[in-house]
Amino acid sequence: MSSHLFLQRVSLKTRLTLALLLAFLLIFADHRLGAMQPIRAFLNSVVSPVQYLAVMPEQALDNVISQVQSRRRIMRENTQLKEDNLLLQGQLQRFQFLVRENDRLRELLASDSREERLRMVAEVIAVDSDPFSHQVVVNKGTRHGVYIGQPVIDADGIVGQVADVGVTTARVILISDQSHAIPTRAELSGIRVIAQGVGDTAQLELMHVPHSTELQEGDVLFSSGLGGVFPEGYPVARIKRITRDESLPFAQVSAAPIANLDRIRMLLLLWDSSSETQPVRSEAELREQSQRPVEEQN
Amino acid sequence: MLTRRIMQRSIILITIVLSLIFAVMPISIQVAAWRPEWPLLVVIYWIIALPHRVNIGYAAAVGLAVDILLGSTLGFHAAAYALVAYPAAQYYKRIRNFSLSQQALLVMVLVFLGRAIVYLFEHYLNNAPLMLHYFWPALSSAIFWPWVFLVLRKIRRSFQLR
Repeated sequence: MSSHLFLQRVSLKTRLTLALLLAFLLIFADHRLGAMQPIRAFLNSVVSPVQYLAVMPEQALDNVISQVQSRRRIMRENTQLKEDNLLLQGQLQRFQFLVRENDRLRELLASDSREERLRMVAEVIAVDSDPFSHQVVVNKGTRHGVYIGQPVIDADGIVGQVADVGVTTARVILISDQSHAIPTRAELSGIRVIAQGVGDTAQLELMHVPHSTELQEGDVLFSSGLGGVFPEGYPVARIKRITRDESLPFAQVSAAPIANLDRIRMLLLLWDSSSETQPVRSEAELREQSQRPVEEQN
Repeated sequence: MLTRRIMQRSIILITIVLSLIFAVMPISIQVAAWRPEWPLLVVIYWIIALPHRVNIGYAAAVGLAVDILLGSTLGFHAAAYALVAYPAAQYYKRIRNFSLSQQALLVMVLVFLGRAIVYLFEHYLNNAPLMLHYFWPALSSAIFWPWVFLVLRKIRRSFQLR
């Protein structure tokens, strides 16, 4: 007990100074130099067990719920899904026809044809409780071929891009994060605008829009593909409100993201067919894929 | 003797890992803003109870883990936790003699302080807007403090951690 009476071999002030010095060094290296990227990948892999453990109760609960779900309800869901699938298949036929036609027309115009994109489903395993950053963690990492800057979409539209990768997890920064901006093009007028996140999952701001703009409330913005990160032609947001205050240099335009950013669960990771890293699938997934009818090329 | 020491350290570590899990566990949006700052609560408890084992360095390390888990710039929470740990480590004897409600009040101030430091970093380096609901966890942390304290004391006593 007596040894504990004089426990401070190093004074508290020294400890505090040392800890703060280290923390400031880290902040400087991470924020100003951006030198922590490779170390971050390692650290993300180290903490990924915590993230997997944190979702386990929820997943277990989901499991239990789906176990006790009545047979009738599952049957009903099944018929619903079959109907949906039929509908989508019908639309897909038309889509494939259009793709072929588009390729032919592009050939006539002697421009490059669009590439088929590869996709992989990823599940959100953690949503950040840090209100200053809009990020989610998904259950795919370098082991699956995920790379930094990879575009991420969901069933409705663009969700964000990959910011960090660990071995089995990746951190996706959402388009609503205040440090994120995405180049878009309005559907009808074709006007190019940059949609900037403001830290609110239901809102994006359009930057540098002149007062004389032809943009209208209700216009849908699609990704323009100009930044080189996001592919062209995916829906991003719908214009909600345009405020033309002449005392300000630009019109204030706010838009609502089309993807439901506050309740995302299943996401799709996209790969260019020409990009360096390619999706790595588990054997089970490959088998499943090969059983599907092979899509006709050209 | 050696295995005993390892066991004691691992028990402290386990409580901290559990608090980190609670910190990132997905909960519904309505209550997410009220999530108490579990890692800071656990660190404060161990600093008050066993200051020769858990101290400012430990607090900074836990803060770093929080940084990694939340994806904030590395060092924000580390600096905040270290700063908050300082008064706790300095006055641990006095705090031990506080009643639970007095301790809860102090914890509220400490959590608020920690959040304010992180907010200042975010504001000046990442242009974060002021969000009042960012400070609500100070209140919920104070409300949950008595339970955290009692559970951790139970753990400390039953494993005879010294």
